[in-house]
Amino acid sequence: MVKMRPVIGITTYVEPATWGVWHNLPTTLVPHDYVAAVTGAGGRAVLLPPDDLDTDVLRILDGLVLSGGSDLGPELYGAPAAPQTVTRPERDAAEMLLARAALTRDLPVLGVCRGMQLLTVAGGGTLHQHLPDVLGHDRHRPAPGVYGEHEAGFTPGSRIAGLMGEDTRVHCFHHQGVDDPGTLTVTGRAEDGTVEAVEDPRHRFVLGVQWHPEVTRDKRLFGALVEAAA
Amino acid sequence: MRRPLIGLTAYAQHVQYGSNEQVVGMLPMSYVRAVHATGGRAVLITPDDPGTDVLESLDGIVFAGGGDVDPANWGAEPHPATDSDPVRDASELLLMRAALDADLPVLGVCRGLQVMAVATGGSLHQHLPDLVGHDRHRAAAGTDPLAVDSSAFGRHDVVLTPGSAARSLLGARLTVNSFHHQAIDDPGSFTVVGRCPDDRVVEIIEDRNRSFALGVQWHPERTGDLRVFAALVEAAADSSGLGRTALAA
Repeated sequence: MVKMRPVIGITTYVEPATWGVWHNLPTTLVPHDYVAAVTGAGGRAVLLPPDDLDTDVLRILDGLVLSGGSDLGPELYGAPAAPQTVTRPERDAAEMLLARAALTRDLPVLGVCRGMQLLTVAGGGTLHQHLPDVLGHDRHRPAPGVYGEHEAGFTPGSRIAGLMGEDTRVHCFHHQGVDDPGTLTVTGRAEDGTVEAVEDPRHRFVLGVQWHPEVTRDKRLFGALVEAAA
Repeated sequence: MRRPLIGLTAYAQHVQYGSNEQVVGMLPMSYVRAVHATGGRAVLITPDDPGTDVLESLDGIVFAGGGDVDPANWGAEPHPATDSDPVRDASELLLMRAALDADLPVLGVCRGLQVMAVATGGSLHQHLPDLVGHDRHRAAAGTDPLAVDSSAFGRHDVVLTPGSAARSLLGARLTVNSFHHQAIDDPGSFTVVGRCPDDRVVEIIEDRNRSFALGVQWHPERTGDLRVFAALVEAAADSSGLGRTALAA
């Protein structure tokens, strides 16, 4: 009998990708950092191509990572699209279905960047569509391919405060942010007030972070997810 | 609804997409669509530190196409044209042996068929042009050799062995697309049940002692003929006790 690691599903997206002799081939993909972060924390990662037919795949999952990516369609929270908003409606539909079903099952969920925004919208919340318009600066997405690095402050006693401990530096890359957190509790903010972490204490483990813990393969967060999933 | 859950071996690859360029876990969507179109639910299995526990969660598995298998796995020196990924090889050979041991329904596509042979003690020809004197099994990337207006390059027939399971599924003869330069020499524990009639290259293998184990050298997921995927999903439904009703939708 092999030892079963907790199976952690990671949502993926479909983009035309180019490698080797292949050019712009529709490909389902997610940055390998997510896989490495889950593996390093003791989980077995499986990648979930978008599929809006059903959520039956949840049957085999012990935990779910909602990964980063494009902007959520603002119609999901009743707003008209801003000019800077870039969406992937098919992914939205599939992930919203999956996230809602995961919450219903009380499956441990970690939302990263877009994933945190998706948890927020699933909880009836809303987003700022372009943070520079709200904040007057671009420090959460300094330049293409460059992560903004800053300190975040966490609510004492919250799950994320316990996980992060003393080292509260985060790496982020986003231009949208949480406005109204809906049914979620905001437990972390940047100095400029931007929401950095949300939680849902009604569930076993529902944590959303606006930054990218997979880039540093942060065992504090992925370890907590895998532990909750075990 | 509960669809048979089909694992697809994926890979970690440096790719460019949009304005991004990085290593991603990935697989062409054609495989995912083939599984979904035939009633399964696809999940991607990335190469991992040795561990086959994920098989416990699956009803069937597809070993997908990709780069060359390292000839060290059958004790040969690499050909100058051989380009392999040892991490993916190690992970897939381990997964293949465990899947066969567990009698999980297995479909091998292109490289996947080659992994079936090598995992069970077989071997490959490393560069077909050296063997058959031409490169017509390797269509240009991105082309569709089966399209009406395409040249015959990368398109050929397969003749199936009478009495084989593959022949019951696919008939006596079919025309396929072809994107490879390695090919089976020794099929390991599998039986060769179809060849290209022009040059005798092995095109399809099976093992009737298993609930479902079929390998094809061509790329059905890039065509409208998804019969081998349908057969895999059906076998996965049967062996996991779902029955055919699961596929009715």
